[in-house]
Amino acid sequence: MKGNSVLIVDDEAIVRDSIRDWLADAGYDVSTAETAEQALDIVSRRDFSVMVLDVRLPGQTGLSVLKEVKAQRPWIKSIIITAYPSEETTAEATRLGAIDYVVKPLAPDDLEKLIRETIESAGKEPTVVARPAAQPRPSARAVQVKKSVVVTKRSFKNVVENLITTMDVYGVKAKQGKYVFDRINAPDELALDYDITAMPPTVFLFPARETILKFKFGEAGKAEPVVDTTPRVIIGVHPCDIHAIELLDEAFIAINPDPNYIARRQNSLIIGVDDLNPSPKSFAPSMGTHVAENGFDLMLTDIGNKYMVMIGSQKGADLLVKYAQVTEPTAEDIARQKTVHDEAHAKYKIHLDVPRERVPRMLEDSYDDPYWQARSNTCLSCGSCVMVCPTCFCFDVQDDVALNMKDGQRMRQWDGCMLVDFAKVATGENFRHDKASRFRHRIYRKGKYVLERYGKMGCVGCGRCATACLAEIASPLEAFNAIAESMRAKQAAQRSLRETRPESELYAPRFARVMRVEQLSAKEKVFEFKFLDGKDLGHQPGQFVSVSILGIGESPFGVATSPTRTGSFEVAVRNVGSVTNAVHNLQKNAVVGIRGPFGNGFNVKAMEGKDILFIAGGIGLFPVRSLIQYVLDRRKQFGRAIVLFGARSPAERLFLNELAAWKNNPDLEFAETVDRGTPDWTGNVGVITTLIPKLQIDPRKTVAVVVGPPIMYRFVIVELKKKDLADENIILSLERRMKCGVGKCGHCQINGVYVCQEGPVFSLAQLRTLREAV
Amino acid sequence: MKPKVAFFDFTSCEGCQLDVLNLTGEELLDLLDGIEIVNFREAISNRSDDYDIAFIEGSISREAEIPRLQKIRSQAKVLVSLGACACIGGVNCLKNHLHMEEALKIVYGDAAKYYDTIPARPIHAVVPVDFYVRGCPPQTAEFVNVVKALLLGKKPDIPNFPVCTECKMAGNICVFERGMTCVGPVTRAGCNAICVTGGRRCWGCRGLVDEPNVDSEKEILKKYGLTPEQVLEKFKIYNSYAEVKK
Repeated sequence: MKGNSVLIVDDEAIVRDSIRDWLADAGYDVSTAETAEQALDIVSRRDFSVMVLDVRLPGQTGLSVLKEVKAQRPWIKSIIITAYPSEETTAEATRLGAIDYVVKPLAPDDLEKLIRETIESAGKEPTVVARPAAQPRPSARAVQVKKSVVVTKRSFKNVVENLITTMDVYGVKAKQGKYVFDRINAPDELALDYDITAMPPTVFLFPARETILKFKFGEAGKAEPVVDTTPRVIIGVHPCDIHAIELLDEAFIAINPDPNYIARRQNSLIIGVDDLNPSPKSFAPSMGTHVAENGFDLMLTDIGNKYMVMIGSQKGADLLVKYAQVTEPTAEDIARQKTVHDEAHAKYKIHLDVPRERVPRMLEDSYDDPYWQARSNTCLSCGSCVMVCPTCFCFDVQDDVALNMKDGQRMRQWDGCMLVDFAKVATGENFRHDKASRFRHRIYRKGKYVLERYGKMGCVGCGRCATACLAEIASPLEAFNAIAESMRAKQAAQRSLRETRPESELYAPRFARVMRVEQLSAKEKVFEFKFLDGKDLGHQPGQFVSVSILGIGESPFGVATSPTRTGSFEVAVRNVGSVTNAVHNLQKNAVVGIRGPFGNGFNVKAMEGKDILFIAGGIGLFPVRSLIQYVLDRRKQFGRAIVLFGARSPAERLFLNELAAWKNNPDLEFAETVDRGTPDWTGNVGVITTLIPKLQIDPRKTVAVVVGPPIMYRFVIVELKKKDLADENIILSLERRMKCGVGKCGHCQINGVYVCQEGPVFSLAQLRTLREAV
Repeated sequence: MKPKVAFFDFTSCEGCQLDVLNLTGEELLDLLDGIEIVNFREAISNRSDDYDIAFIEGSISREAEIPRLQKIRSQAKVLVSLGACACIGGVNCLKNHLHMEEALKIVYGDAAKYYDTIPARPIHAVVPVDFYVRGCPPQTAEFVNVVKALLLGKKPDIPNFPVCTECKMAGNICVFERGMTCVGPVTRAGCNAICVTGGRRCWGCRGLVDEPNVDSEKEILKKYGLTPEQVLEKFKIYNSYAEVKK
């Protein structure tokens, strides 16, 4: 429809034609009608901005035309013209919605100005004309019947029976142990004491699929809008769903009034019912939606054998007048209604932990919160949450062509931001390609975006998404509360600043004496340390310490002995830099600084009862030795213990006495190899991976502990996977540069992980998520 | 010139071909206004090697089928996989976890020596496939939609979201809420959740969506009381080819 279309209805040809010519010259799209019948015929076929109407017409009066047009197309502005003004017709025309009254003979330029102003004012305020009658504007409030009456259940049944004979009746009924909105053929099918329906009643206003255009293509191509104006009534709508309908009204009507939605909305009566048995997943009170003041034609509260009925519109009032026996509520009825409301309110068990008003700001500040990633991990992207949501209204548009390849229809169908391809463009980019960003977007719509755009919260707390979500992650309440908790934790961290006792000795070492020094090979020595205060280190196998030579610096080293061997501990050091060189120069009885132990160490509890396969390459033997000793000292707690050791050459073998002892220890299965042999070497030659294929191991009860140079990990993992070892059962220790050991300096960080805190021991399953790791 | 359409069947029950032309007389005539069917064992006895669009039913489970399929591919301008066996391998792939000799023995007993077989696979594992008409059997409407799309020169709109989306649109009570389990949350929609709407559950005959969260689905199945073995069985029925490949 053109914005400046005008229909002129006048039986006097000279008036009709002169106005037509004047307006057409001024650029208006003008149509004319001579009689009431002709006018109604034209209006039934096309839309207009303004109708200029003579009240005196042959046959039907202009007022009856006005009345009919008001019913069909309530947004058309009507200007009345007449040669015989009377107060009665003026009042009647105003009552019927005419916006102005002009007396003949009229000045065409004045009329043109009036029409122009009328169109301009309508353009500024489209919602006024398009808003359905059920939702009162402040100015229209006077005509609303805001009154509560009492209707017996028997009488209400009569209302439903009568409705069934006059229009499509939909209401809540039981299905497969749950409740649904469905076609009602008899009043007894209604189950108005339900908790929650699988799908919301908004499906009758915005159905899952509907035709928006019918078209013909080819040379005689044309497209006609299609709307559904079937009269219907929806019975049993809970207050939270009424709030959802009010939000849809904003979304579909406020800008670019949607013909399909409005046609259904204007032809639907809404009979609400208070929710007296709320679903355990509902949190309507937290969203302020457990009661509704507007947005319905009638609102029922079950107060025993009768309903307290709030009348929300003239249509609702007419319905009662026509079909029900209405009485004034007694003091007892009013008291009873209050009691059932209070009882229902007490049944809600889950609540928002913060005031509702704070949610948008809270979300604003939490865009990068780890919650979105963590919580969306199990999301199936199945769309259930957005399909069952009464406030979700996104859609897809597709053409459906008939087999004759001539006719077709353009359909719209629900779509949703949780579906993988929702934000994918034709060139292939997907602007919300990961689960976390889709999950966050939905929660932001529910708690922020929709509110900011349409003035109403995007979540009404009905709890359907939480019911439908198999992964149990969809409830906006849970997300809002989790984000609130995360913000509180951040605030708490700030608040407790003053009360936090600093760990003043965090960076200060304890002092230990060198008890023994032993040369292991050309570059490696092992040092036995004992704290000056006589205390034990208190470590786990696989943890490390920082050894400090004052004046030179500090370096991290794995502890090479088991905590089961108390009194002292050993650290083995390869001489490669200035600190290690200074350590190598230490003599017996020298004093060094020690900080630690640091890191997680091997999870010995989780290894109990398992077969342990130790694979150590070169100086990887140092930390592995601490665990081998631990297993030997608590031999009964573990299954088989298999040790594989590889060195580059016979000269680089370490702990020779211990290797010999392990070889002869019946508690251990031991094998070793060297990469390159020498003439006097009689053992295995070849890289360490050559030892693995010969092993017979049970992958279900074996844990492999692998420590060595990074290159070794790649090949060892391949061999272990051939033995069907799960990623969780392959344990590695990583070496990273470390300065502080206490999760601050950042040197040891791999992706989001600090090796000195979460490591140095990781399972392969953990490492697979850390792309910098191996 | 109307495009010439041919139907071919490989290892299958031929039910898909029967189902796709389950049209009313008028619809069938409209369809035949747009295309010429030159090869269709289920309905016409004439055969032709001159065709533009080939619909392939069934999976590939014998060596001899491979060159036959390759020949069809080289002739057809457009090749469409028709039905679960062709699109995802389907139930035929259930045998893939057995040794082939063992499978032959189970099926043919003493006559096994007269037959040969290879692990079953979908059509796209052998030749490139342009479009897919999914399902066991496919729905007539979807077949017709693909034909119409080809005639209009556009890509058919096949959903890449799980059955749950359409199941909710259909207004169903969730299978899980009715005390059963299904694989709808990872299965490609397009069937309007016909099985659930009919009171049954989803077995995954249309294959998985592009980014299925199989791990989460498995956890959910366990949460609803299935053992890990039962969980795998759920996936195997139609999707063992995809599962084995993973």
